[in-house]
Amino acid sequence: MHAHTHEEEMVVERSERRAPNVDMTPMIDCVFLLIIFFMLATTFAPLPGIRVKLPPPGQPSKEKPKGLILRISNPVGGDDSGVMILNNEIVSLDNAFGVFMNTPAEEKEMLIIQSGRQVIHDQIVQVMDRAKRAGVAKIGFAMVQ
Amino acid sequence: MKLSKSKAGAKLPQVPMEPLVDCVFLLLIFFMISNILKIPPPFRVQLPESKARSEFQRKRYSVYIHETGQISIDDQRMANLDEMMSYLLLKKKEIEVLIIRADKNAEHGFVVDVMEKAKQAEIDNLALAVSEDDYTGR
Repeated sequence: MHAHTHEEEMVVERSERRAPNVDMTPMIDCVFLLIIFFMLATTFAPLPGIRVKLPPPGQPSKEKPKGLILRISNPVGGDDSGVMILNNEIVSLDNAFGVFMNTPAEEKEMLIIQSGRQVIHDQIVQVMDRAKRAGVAKIGFAMVQ
Repeated sequence: MKLSKSKAGAKLPQVPMEPLVDCVFLLLIFFMISNILKIPPPFRVQLPESKARSEFQRKRYSVYIHETGQISIDDQRMANLDEMMSYLLLKKKEIEVLIIRADKNAEHGFVVDVMEKAKQAEIDNLALAVSEDDYTGR
């Protein structure tokens, strides 16, 4: 008798498998929620950038600003970067970090980047990157005609 | 008639609230996203890379600078620097930090011009956006 009832149950299960009647609604709900979650997660990811604080409005101070002055010439010919001069010495992006690290702390308070207009933005950002990592507190821009 | 009506009214408050709440939450999320969603600029900008970086929130109104010197605020093309400045003046209350997304090959002189104009529009906090690749999440 027991074996017989068991067989009957098996038959019922098989017949259910033949006609699957899965409810799709919860799955679709889930998928939509996941889509919304990932959309949110990507839009809320922080945006990397370098902070620039503009000096307060007013007359530029007449006294000579203290700090390092880095001169960058306009790129010439096919070059994509201009020549950089710090304290009468040519520096490159490769050794700029070391040069900034070796300058005494009181001079590192401010770096003024004096550059030509045609210097590309990338070179300036690279210099700012080296300077910030070496502990330069403020960076200012000056244009040379 | 009166009696039956009042009886029907007594049954009415049993309306299921869940679908309504679901709907309201979905609408809330939808408007939150549509407000912040990145608005594509009219041109491609290749950002410079940098290891030194801070983190900023994604908000509306960032300035895009193409390598040829075109400017755009989100998807709004600006004909020149003065148009950009008047636009920024209008929106300055909504701008906490103005993010400048300048192409790595843009002229530095032009980027500084944009920063000067932002200052004239009374926006003092700026950020130069850098590439999100190789981001270590420091």
